[in-house]
Amino acid sequence: MQQPTVSIIGAGPAGLNAAISLAKMEIRVNLFEKQVKPGGQLSHWHTLFPDMYDAKTLLKSTINEISHPHIKLYTTVNIRQIKRQNNQWIISSDGNQEFISDAVIITSGFNLFDATKKEEYGYGIYPQVITSLELEQMFNGRREWPFSKDIEAPKAGFVHCVGSRDTKCGNNWCSKVCCVKAVKQAIEFKKQFPKAEVSCFYMDLRMFGKGYEELYMKAQVDFNIQFIRGRLSEASPSNGNKVHVKAEDTLMNRPLKQNLDMLVLMVGMTPAIWLNQHAERIDFEKPKFKQGFINPVENYQSTIYQNTPGVFAAGTCKGPASLIDVIQDAKATAFEVFAYLKKEKQNVEILEKTT
Amino acid sequence: MSRISFGYSVSEGKVINLDQQKPAWLEKIFELEPSLHRCISCGNCAAVCTAGHFTGMKFYRICLNAFRGQTSDLKNDAKACMLCGKCQFACPRGVNIRHAIMLMTQIQKP
Ligand SMILES: Cc1cc2nc3c(=O)[nH]c(=O)nc-3n(C[C@H](O)[C@H](O)[C@H](O)COP(=O)(O)OP(=O)(O)OC[C@H]3O[C@@H](n4cnc5c(N)ncnc54)[C@H](O)[C@@H]3O)c2cc1C
Ligand code: SF4
Ligand code: SF4
Ligand code: SF4
Repeated sequence: MQQPTVSIIGAGPAGLNAAISLAKMEIRVNLFEKQVKPGGQLSHWHTLFPDMYDAKTLLKSTINEISHPHIKLYTTVNIRQIKRQNNQWIISSDGNQEFISDAVIITSGFNLFDATKKEEYGYGIYPQVITSLELEQMFNGRREWPFSKDIEAPKAGFVHCVGSRDTKCGNNWCSKVCCVKAVKQAIEFKKQFPKAEVSCFYMDLRMFGKGYEELYMKAQVDFNIQFIRGRLSEASPSNGNKVHVKAEDTLMNRPLKQNLDMLVLMVGMTPAIWLNQHAERIDFEKPKFKQGFINPVENYQSTIYQNTPGVFAAGTCKGPASLIDVIQDAKATAFEVFAYLKKEKQNVEILEKTT
Repeated sequence: MSRISFGYSVSEGKVINLDQQKPAWLEKIFELEPSLHRCISCGNCAAVCTAGHFTGMKFYRICLNAFRGQTSDLKNDAKACMLCGKCQFACPRGVNIRHAIMLMTQIQKP
């Protein structure tokens, strides 16, 4: 009897961890990644919240684990469709390659919000205005600081909720990770420039995870970071290579202004794909305005995609989540896939090997 | 480069200008009572304050003014406190409010 094969679409943290778990259960995996390298958005981060863990170390150890005889990684393969055929799924790529598998896990992740859409912040126009992703690249030396080296005490501002909690952008959700990411980045910036003045412009501080609230208090007490409640209204150019920002300080009940050397936009998470479901096939499409993330069958059966037998979803393709949540979700999904294969395929071989 | 004008403005009379340097004596107060930085404007201190009931003084507003470098009323506002300490029992962030108030009432502006 042939061993069952699972196709995993997207080799970010969710896809990688699901693949590793399935391989440990003796299931064969085809792991597809449209980029040149696996790693997803994790490959962009310098250090991780809330513990400042080195992102490269985590990425390396995860990627080491996928060199497993049961895992076959296909890079630069963009999956565009899955089709049902006799209890199996046919996966097709942009290059019309086809792969047959017994189950599918969608782990296509998220895209960062395109900051040029919030025109009032002038991203792409003023060099001082950068995204949280670009700041991570400055931390690890892959990008120049947007201000002169002579500035010993740079002034920096962080804008929360850029492209999140915003019906104007069609994104009503909270991206969950950007509040704590801003706090982490503000601290890291102060460590590099101890004389810097740093303000975070927030609407609510959502410190939901373990150690997040503690990190926030640390930012206040040990790093003297100022938290201003109010959405930044506008950024405009100012004298001496600075950017001028305006906001309503809603706690002070007064308007506020400041000239900054660097303005960081905490860009939110948006869905990477939209699943267009037909009777016997699912097309992977570019999401349209307001379309949102993939819907699982229900919140309490969150690993199964709709009522499509053999199709599962894990990670941020279902909505914003931190790495810790994504890794746990991927492992849980791998187990559900295993249970599905065991039931559907009556596959004695997997049972024998694992018990 | 041309851009859409959203018409955002600030009224100059009321604006808080964060470009202004905080006075050294204010920095000193934060240094002597660093727990001030912990305040999250939850308002518990004001909810229990008897002095505030009669004078309108609210400690979290004093604290906010200090954060934003708005110092003109700081000393006078602080003077309304009678140092009973109820706020400190109520504060969830452990701010040493009475000590901060004492420091503020003793401000000697240069
Ligand atoms: C600004 C920011 C900072 C963050 N910092 C942290 C942090 O410090 N700590 C933390 O815990 N979390 C952090 N996160 C969250 C973390 O990045 C995510 O939880 C994690 O990357 C999600 O993993 P994923 O596998 O679901 O998605 P992704 O990382 O997006 O991976 C998805 C992968 O699928 C591929 N893919 C998509 N579609 C296809 C297709 N059709 N065919 C083939 N491949 C495809 C993509 O190329 C990508 O490689 C941050 C998020 C943001 C927005
Ligand atoms: S986590 Fe914070 S910054 Fe991000 S969308 Fe939610 S409230 Fe806004
Ligand atoms: S110590 Fe002062 S501020 Fe605190 S409750 Fe008493 S009077 Fe109010
Ligand atoms: S009770 Fe404490 S934390 Fe809350 S506003 Fe007052 S001083 Fe700040």
